[in-house]
Amino acid sequence: MPAEPILRVSHVCKRFGGLTVTDDVSFDVERGSRTALIGPNGAGKTTLFNLISGVYPINSGSIALEGGVIDALPSRKRISAGLSRSFQNIRLMPHLSVIENVMLGQHSQASGIVDLLAPVSWQRHGRWRRMAEERLREAGLDVDPDGSVSGLPYGVRKKIEVVRALMSNPRLLMLDEPAAGLNPRETADLSAFLKGIAAGGVTLLVVEHDMSFVHDLCERTVVLNFGRLIYDGPTRGVQEDEAVREAYLGSRRVETGSAGRAA
Amino acid sequence: MSAPPASPARRPAIGQPVIIAAGLALAVALGIGFGGKVIAQQIVSGLMLGAIYMTVAMAFTLTIGVLNFLNFTIPTLFMLTGMVAWGLIHQGWLAFAGGSAWLVALLIGVGVAVAASLVVERFTFRYLRTRHGDATEHAIPLVSSLGFLLIFEHLVLIGMGSESQRFAVPFKADIRIFGVVLGGAQLASMVLAVVIVAALTYILKHTRMGRALRTIAENPDTASLLGVEVTRIVPVVFILTGLLAGVAGALFTINYSDVSPFMGDHVGTKAIAAMVLGGLGSIWGAIAGGILVGLTETLSIHFLGGDSVQMTVWGLLLAVIILRPQGLFGTASIGKGKM
Amino acid sequence: MSGYMSGIVAILCINLIFAYGIYVTAAAGQLNLGGAGFQAIGAYAAAWLSSVAMQPIWLTIPAAMVITGFVGFLISFPVLRTRGVYMVLATFAFAEVVAGYLLRSKVFGGAIGMVVPDHIDVPVLIGAAVLVTLAVFYLMATRLGLAMRSIHDDEPVSSLMGVNVRAIQVASFTLGGAFAGLAGALYAHHFSFVEAQYFNSLLSIYVLLFVLIGGTQTAWGPLVGSLFFTLIPELLRVGGSWRYVVFGVAIVLMMIIRPEGIVTRELVARLSPRNWFGGKRPALGERHAG
Repeated sequence: MPAEPILRVSHVCKRFGGLTVTDDVSFDVERGSRTALIGPNGAGKTTLFNLISGVYPINSGSIALEGGVIDALPSRKRISAGLSRSFQNIRLMPHLSVIENVMLGQHSQASGIVDLLAPVSWQRHGRWRRMAEERLREAGLDVDPDGSVSGLPYGVRKKIEVVRALMSNPRLLMLDEPAAGLNPRETADLSAFLKGIAAGGVTLLVVEHDMSFVHDLCERTVVLNFGRLIYDGPTRGVQEDEAVREAYLGSRRVETGSAGRAA
Repeated sequence: MSAPPASPARRPAIGQPVIIAAGLALAVALGIGFGGKVIAQQIVSGLMLGAIYMTVAMAFTLTIGVLNFLNFTIPTLFMLTGMVAWGLIHQGWLAFAGGSAWLVALLIGVGVAVAASLVVERFTFRYLRTRHGDATEHAIPLVSSLGFLLIFEHLVLIGMGSESQRFAVPFKADIRIFGVVLGGAQLASMVLAVVIVAALTYILKHTRMGRALRTIAENPDTASLLGVEVTRIVPVVFILTGLLAGVAGALFTINYSDVSPFMGDHVGTKAIAAMVLGGLGSIWGAIAGGILVGLTETLSIHFLGGDSVQMTVWGLLLAVIILRPQGLFGTASIGKGKM
Repeated sequence: MSGYMSGIVAILCINLIFAYGIYVTAAAGQLNLGGAGFQAIGAYAAAWLSSVAMQPIWLTIPAAMVITGFVGFLISFPVLRTRGVYMVLATFAFAEVVAGYLLRSKVFGGAIGMVVPDHIDVPVLIGAAVLVTLAVFYLMATRLGLAMRSIHDDEPVSSLMGVNVRAIQVASFTLGGAFAGLAGALYAHHFSFVEAQYFNSLLSIYVLLFVLIGGTQTAWGPLVGSLFFTLIPELLRVGGSWRYVVFGVAIVLMMIIRPEGIVTRELVARLSPRNWFGGKRPALGERHAG
């Protein structure tokens, strides 16, 4: 394995108006690792995801993916660079069916003119559709592929979003609170599913509040507070860290139970 | 994705009326200085027209500012006032009022406009609180309002025909200042327009109702969290809309002594142009925009001929939307739909 | 076919093509309230090429499409800087400027209009309408169509999925312009006369209503919307202004009952032939278990 990290965030700053939401944040994500990004509400975790995936430009610092700086890359090109993500609030397309949502995830893989103009919706046994159905099945999603996504249970939609993110064959998969709103059984399922994905060579970077999920899934944890990085090390050490305890004190303690979810 | 917290650098409110007044004084002075009486007369006519436009533009800007809704029924509310007033007199139902029948007729006309506006509220906004979260969602109340535009306009056509009608007002007190003729009706309407604008500005700034409206304008969800009863405030917007459009219609009728089922179309489109020019959601913007459009119209008729108006006004509007979408005084965030 | 019937069919075909021109931008989430401006450009381009430049129909119509498509391409860049209500107003203003120019221009006959020498008949209009309809159905079934629909639902996420949002929006304005131009050219050649007054703001409003009432989620929308609003007044046998009152009431009711349009994806799925026999559709697991 090369020593070069898959993602290197160096001295990243982001300001909205006068408010600094990300202040000189630096950390590496090792290739093949499973890393958690935690912190109290408003710590800047989702903002950092948005900066890495290119929703907003950064003010200073730099972000490198597999050694190449991606600061200037528009968000639509970052997915073909090997970076894919899910969203804190489910962002599936409400008017697309399950399979269409998943197939949208293939867009970066199929953007040649021939692929763009092939009538994928009519090719019920076409290559792209079979690939998408297979991924749904692997994820244990037993849903009508042509059904609407809107009526499906929360946990199922959450998982479809992960499957959609996987369709671009990412090397780095960023998940924003994948376990939020799931019951303990669904959470355990998701953890096992994500471990399988990681075993297949995909690096995981996960924002999560549920500390038991983080303990189960991620060997390493990065903690943000008020836009600053306050901890970067093994997940085991998080609860013992003075700065982290202080950050969570007042709002709530870092709990080991799954009750540690923010409202 | 949470939107970046906005930090609107608001201009001090006192600045805007001062800017407008100074600009106006300059325009009039320059017009009189260089163009003499003819141009001065054009400028005065433009200002009068502008007073009508700005009143209608305020109706538009209010519904867009508070509800993010481009209400296409406003031109028909404007027209309803004039046509209802004419119809009442034409039928002889106001004979009892004698010499002030015209006033009673116009007041009833304004009342009808307000009532019609509430009907629109009942069938558009109450049902259509947007809930679909896609790019064309803001089109839904807009489409309904287009439906009402057709209904009102064609009901009037059926009831009263498509002819343009005379609506005589029994006074004609022209005033001459430095040789420029000021129509009495025009002057009265200008004053009334200014009074309404001032009253509305006061309401928005200093009353509980105004604060509630501004809270909704900023964020409907937060507003309901803060205890603003959105469902009770929304009809107020529609009452004010009907009132502004109706009063503008009455002023127009008094000024031009002429009503027709299509009188709202022309004024309505010019008022939209005025609103965009001033900036969506900005009251002072609507005022400045109304005056600018009125002046542009009369001056481009004077210099370029009557058929040039459509191109100059809409060309100016297109340029403003593209180059400076926030207009003169607006904030860029209004009217963009959600991110 | 009686003259009355063929008149209805002709206007239906032209409006249908026109509606698809507006639909391809609406399907990608962009509202175009300036349809009449694009149709006018197509009509006047064909009229000028036919009457002044004396070109044959097989050249005037494609040329009108190319010209209007190019105008759509050019205007998309400034228009796409705007969104929401601003886009509605910008496209509306564009159409007003076009109409204002045509009314004034000496080259295009000003307020008098232009006579178009070459005539085309109803069967050609039907053929063109069928072709355009099939083309749009095909487009919406492609991955490009999928990307357009995803932009309609959620622009930033589409971009994160690798969709080139800007390029697709520009393309949809260009294609929409070409379709509207085709509708204009067919109008000019069928009615043998064009006048700027026909291409007014009310026309822009109607065609956008066809699309929004029909529904923007599937290619069925404009077809059903155009049919609905062309045929309902005929079936109700109301004339004059009452027709528009009925039209207005139908719009208001439709927005209350079906705010996403008559045809939604759910409706299409429910009416799909796959559901005609044996109620529930198979889930993935069931289908592959057997």
